[in-house]
Amino acid sequence: MNRLHTSRMRRVALASLLGAAATAFAGTAIAAVPTALSSSDVKVLVAPPSRGVRIVALWALDCAYCEENLTALATFQRAHADVDLVFVATDPIGQRDALAARLAGPDLASVPSRAYTDATPDRVNYLIDPEWGGETPRTLVIHADGSRRTFSGAIDARRIASLVN
Amino acid sequence: MVRLALLGALLLTTVAHGTDAMAGMAGMAMGHEPPLGFDATVDRGGHLWVADTVGDHVRVRRSDDMGASFTQSTIVNPTGEAIYAEGENRPKIALGPGGEIYVTWSQPRKLPWTGFVRFSRSLDNGAHFDAPKTVHTDRAEITHRFDALIVDGKGNLVVAWIDKRDLEAATAARKPYLGAATYYTWSTDKGSTFAPERKIVDQSCECCRIALARAPDGSVDAFFRAIHGDNIRDHDLATLPVGGDALPAVQRATFTNWHIEGCPHHGPSLAIDAAGTRHAVWFSAAGGKATIWYGQLQPGKPPAHLATVANAGASHADLAADGKHVWIAYHQMTAQGLELMLRESDDGGATFGSPRVLATTASASGWPKLVVVDHRAFVAWNPEGTFRLIPVQAAP
Repeated sequence: MNRLHTSRMRRVALASLLGAAATAFAGTAIAAVPTALSSSDVKVLVAPPSRGVRIVALWALDCAYCEENLTALATFQRAHADVDLVFVATDPIGQRDALAARLAGPDLASVPSRAYTDATPDRVNYLIDPEWGGETPRTLVIHADGSRRTFSGAIDARRIASLVN
Repeated sequence: MVRLALLGALLLTTVAHGTDAMAGMAGMAMGHEPPLGFDATVDRGGHLWVADTVGDHVRVRRSDDMGASFTQSTIVNPTGEAIYAEGENRPKIALGPGGEIYVTWSQPRKLPWTGFVRFSRSLDNGAHFDAPKTVHTDRAEITHRFDALIVDGKGNLVVAWIDKRDLEAATAARKPYLGAATYYTWSTDKGSTFAPERKIVDQSCECCRIALARAPDGSVDAFFRAIHGDNIRDHDLATLPVGGDALPAVQRATFTNWHIEGCPHHGPSLAIDAAGTRHAVWFSAAGGKATIWYGQLQPGKPPAHLATVANAGASHADLAADGKHVWIAYHQMTAQGLELMLRESDDGGATFGSPRVLATTASASGWPKLVVVDHRAFVAWNPEGTFRLIPVQAAP
């Protein structure tokens, strides 16, 4: 093994170490960067769970009420093992850095996060919830039997419980 | 020691990442790319004027053939700046009685939800525009956004916007405050100077566009989403005095009782006919039922001729009135795509015909804008960023 190769190996190892550390760090102190959600992904997103409920928390950067809502939902989820929670930002995935910055912090970082990647965001809104006018925050609760309950606006633990139970 | 250094480096990276994310917000519109927000109006000579954005620039174009082609295109702000140009924010254009062209837009600042209301004018038929300026004296890095622009019957400019200075003051004083305030200013010298801004109302909705319309006497009414009691987000109407010391008299004008501690992202539209009847459309999801409503405003009491325009999947209605004709254009989303819809009344808004599809797109468009030329209505639309002016009926 020549010296150059050894040096390269060391750099690769160091990069891997840093990468792993960064990933671990991201999982605890930085929010997960959202992944893209297109119209063709909506069917899976809103499919009824095999048990419990799935909560789709719809939010937007331009919504001053949304982050508090996300925190309330994440807190509720931690106390209820049969609640599957996903954050969906109606903003474009191109704003992933801004979205991730808003989701920073241990309360929100562990929740799967999506953002729209579609030229027709209003259509994605409609496919997710045809009764929804686009107002935020919007909470969509999908039960295992396929039934749905929705709520627009800031939400508290009692309201969440009424949608879930 | 090494671990400590590594952690330090990561922390620095994290801080830089967060800062970059904020800085990045200053350089882009808050919505989907490319932003499709536009405004359109027609001058007395029948020329169509359209304002939209190209990157960090506001663009004003003139068409002499009703939108089929553009014979003039001028960049308003050669020095680029961030511009809110989607959804409820879009550049606005209004024309003065002497051919003046006025443009306003909202400029995102560095932090989330912040913005300044910007203004520029052309006094040479759109060949050149003055350097943009900020219309409000308050320069705090807070919300001054969702601008609305109109010219009154005397040629004075009126600009209204959503403003969070009172929310900031209340928060600092640990006092409760819902939403944001709505402010306005005016110019009596063709936009050379603007009066110090005046508050229309406290505790109004912070995310919906404001509708401005001119009454037969030349005065300007503002119709906007207010907050009543505990987050009942209905609408108020206020006539906006230009000059003098009189404050706007604000009265509740819609009574859907939609409670939402959130952002509707749905502003209203207002048109006042020659008889002074205030025709309006607005969105509400009271009772969980998304509805575009039509009504004739009677400030202080529920509107007359209240009617449902459309329900689920419908959004962002605009309306125009001319004699006994009232036209309502709106977006109707379906699983297949977006439909541009029209409803028309020929009895002054007492009744409306069935919804008609004027055009469709599999893509997106800025919100529809109705214009009336020689008693004929047209809907301005820009699916996929391509401007169209669609007649609501075939030429006679």
